[in-house]
Amino acid sequence: MLARVANNLFWMGRYIERSEHLARYLNVNYFSSLDAPSELSQSREFVLRSIMFMASNEVVDAKVKLKEKDVLYNIGLNIKEPYSIIYSFHSAHENARSSRDLLSTELFESLNTINHRIKNYDAKAFVKSGLYDFTSIVIKSTSELRSKVQGTLLHDDLYAVIMLGIYLERALQITRIINSKCSDATVEKLKDKIPQENGHLWATLLKCVSAYDMMRRLYKKTPKQNTTLEFLILNPQCPRSIKNCLSQMEKYVDILSKHHKIKTDSAAFLIKKLNAEFKYKLIDDIESDIEDFLSDLIDKLVFIGERLDEDYFKVTVYPIIKEKSVSSVQTQ
Amino acid sequence: MKNKIELPLFSSYEFNSNFYDELFSKNKKTREIYKRLFKLFSQYSVNEFNALNNRAKESFFNNGITFQVYNSNQVSEKIFPFDLFPRIINNKEWSTIEKGVLQRSKALNHFLWDVYHEQKIIKQGIVPLDLISSSENFLPQMVNLDPPEGIYNHVSGTDLIKHSDGNYYVLEDNIRCPSGVSYVVGNRAAVKHALFGVFNEYNAHTVVDYGSNLLDIMESVKPKGVDNPVCVVITPGVYNSAYYEHSFLAKQMGIELVEGQDLFVENDFVYKQTIYGPEKVDVIYRRIDDLFIDPLEFRKDSVLGVPGLFSVYKKGNVCLVNAPGTGVADDKAVYTYMPEIIKYYLDEDPILNNVQTYHCSRKNELSYVLDNIDKLVVKPVDESGGYGISIGNKLTKEEIQKVKETIMENPRKYIAQPIMALSTHPTYIEETQSFEPRHVDLRTFTLLGKDKDFVLKGGLSRVALSKGNLVVNSSQGGGSKDTWVLKK
Repeated sequence: MLARVANNLFWMGRYIERSEHLARYLNVNYFSSLDAPSELSQSREFVLRSIMFMASNEVVDAKVKLKEKDVLYNIGLNIKEPYSIIYSFHSAHENARSSRDLLSTELFESLNTINHRIKNYDAKAFVKSGLYDFTSIVIKSTSELRSKVQGTLLHDDLYAVIMLGIYLERALQITRIINSKCSDATVEKLKDKIPQENGHLWATLLKCVSAYDMMRRLYKKTPKQNTTLEFLILNPQCPRSIKNCLSQMEKYVDILSKHHKIKTDSAAFLIKKLNAEFKYKLIDDIESDIEDFLSDLIDKLVFIGERLDEDYFKVTVYPIIKEKSVSSVQTQ
Repeated sequence: MKNKIELPLFSSYEFNSNFYDELFSKNKKTREIYKRLFKLFSQYSVNEFNALNNRAKESFFNNGITFQVYNSNQVSEKIFPFDLFPRIINNKEWSTIEKGVLQRSKALNHFLWDVYHEQKIIKQGIVPLDLISSSENFLPQMVNLDPPEGIYNHVSGTDLIKHSDGNYYVLEDNIRCPSGVSYVVGNRAAVKHALFGVFNEYNAHTVVDYGSNLLDIMESVKPKGVDNPVCVVITPGVYNSAYYEHSFLAKQMGIELVEGQDLFVENDFVYKQTIYGPEKVDVIYRRIDDLFIDPLEFRKDSVLGVPGLFSVYKKGNVCLVNAPGTGVADDKAVYTYMPEIIKYYLDEDPILNNVQTYHCSRKNELSYVLDNIDKLVVKPVDESGGYGISIGNKLTKEEIQKVKETIMENPRKYIAQPIMALSTHPTYIEETQSFEPRHVDLRTFTLLGKDKDFVLKGGLSRVALSKGNLVVNSSQGGGSKDTWVLKK
């Protein structure tokens, strides 16, 4: 497989996954806040800041007053914002388009149809009444796309590259969502001085990553900080946990790395090392300084992404004339 | 004589006896071959057909069979106009067309070899020297270079029309990078989905075997010493108007679609950069024009090609499909010598008719052209895509004068032909919600390899969508139709 094409497909996987997490985070947080128990968690400003933090990875200046319609539009349909859902989906589509000869007709057709639908979504209707509808479309569509990836592509190194993209992005997004919710919890504790567990916040977190039902089935109790974090970070059976993502990444990087020797600084080595660290980790080891743990984990995942790029996707640039690209239009 | 038929979808169908209508004979009777199809179409109400037409358009859109249009601040995606009423060609007519286009491809291949080697045909005075020496598409780099297995034009697209006399004529041969075959397959799929029942009444040849035949042809011209050639398709990239076709062909053949940046040259071989390192490439179906394939040899400002590619080709370590420099033979001035070229190399009479052509480079013919511009089509010899064509009977006096002046500036650049009466075919016009006759041509697709050849049994019937227009090229906003070649 061409390195450039592999890179495109890796990012297609990442952007599909990213779209889903952005859409679900927006959907769950916004709607659960409408009748949230505490005054703070019901406050528009608090919810909008939390959503902005997760999407753009930046804390909005405290002096800035956020406008609800602007926030919703920017995260949903503003193609100029690189953190928006539409930007993410558009990027997935562009990456797929430049390697469409390798994708199944079924997968490309779905991606294309959904892209048209998202691209043409009416922005006015979206901020007025279409938030639930739009985010639901994105969530459903991304699962349709993953199922087409799994069901209509040959399970070879091309598939491994896409799945690596999907699981790396999932691990990153889930870590960031946990991070964002943990920081909400800290704020709530400080402001409301609530000594007891805030079940609503942890339930929202679980729903943000569609793990609530699974968690209830396993623990059969109202989610608490300790159990929620244990489930989302360390449970090997939950398809949304970090641990599960890491073992999937190891499985797929093995398909690529069997063609070469694994060096100590390679992506394959780093994935295996991180996976090994997770194998015997306990929630009690990490809960006390969860925020440090999460930010360290984000750094490690980002570095793995960079190493994957270095190991498999780098295209040597040969010294060709770097003038303005001349494109030819076919006329025959 | 103009008249109308009393059927909702055909209420705007105007007869014009100056043209051969593919559906109706001169006495307004449905032609035998179309009877069953016409019966089906006449059963649709306007609303039903509209819905069918919209669904077909939607499927092109969703499948991404589109091209992109760039406006100042946004990119929009468009489908190529497509018509659901298929064109039917009977087996007997087709067999002549098939033999005829193959004959032309073979003759052109001999001609190209000769032009870039001994130039016997010129020395013997059969075609004039200035035909070659003044051609912009003649590549001096190709002189005395032997392409693998002696094949230059592996892929040809020959454009034919049906004249008012009911005979096919060749309009031009395209042997650089002819496009359109992906739409043949796309159109067939759309017609099958929309009108599936009618296929029980007609046995049409399939069109999906083009890809596998193209791959066979590519493998047949592998460089010496290679057992299992690695073949790729090279594209200028996603922003090229024919990108859909490039990705379609790569997919059909199951080979990789590469861009210039994916390939590099080292030690006289071409490699692609894969996730596991470099891998040698042996045969390249290139959809990049000659001058862009290698910035070291041709246009220095090209970032689409591969630096050093041509030197590898010269050494025989890679095969380019089609060979560089084929453009010299699909020049419209060379076209006029096709009967002589066929006779000279194959010792056969041409199977397909050429349109009578006047060379503005010849004094007596030039004066005829200048006196009769209103009755002629004037074409530049080295342009493709329908650019620079003037059609005499559509011009004002001032425009005629302008054409005369343009010709006089460089007579060698122009040829003129009688205005050919392209046949008409029922085409759905959305504005009037009915079928109207529109002019069509037929692009055929021929492949030539070592001891192998192939003509796609079908083709792209291109339609000029505006009323009375005779230029059908898709670069000029033309549409297309599915084309059925019947088995019996």
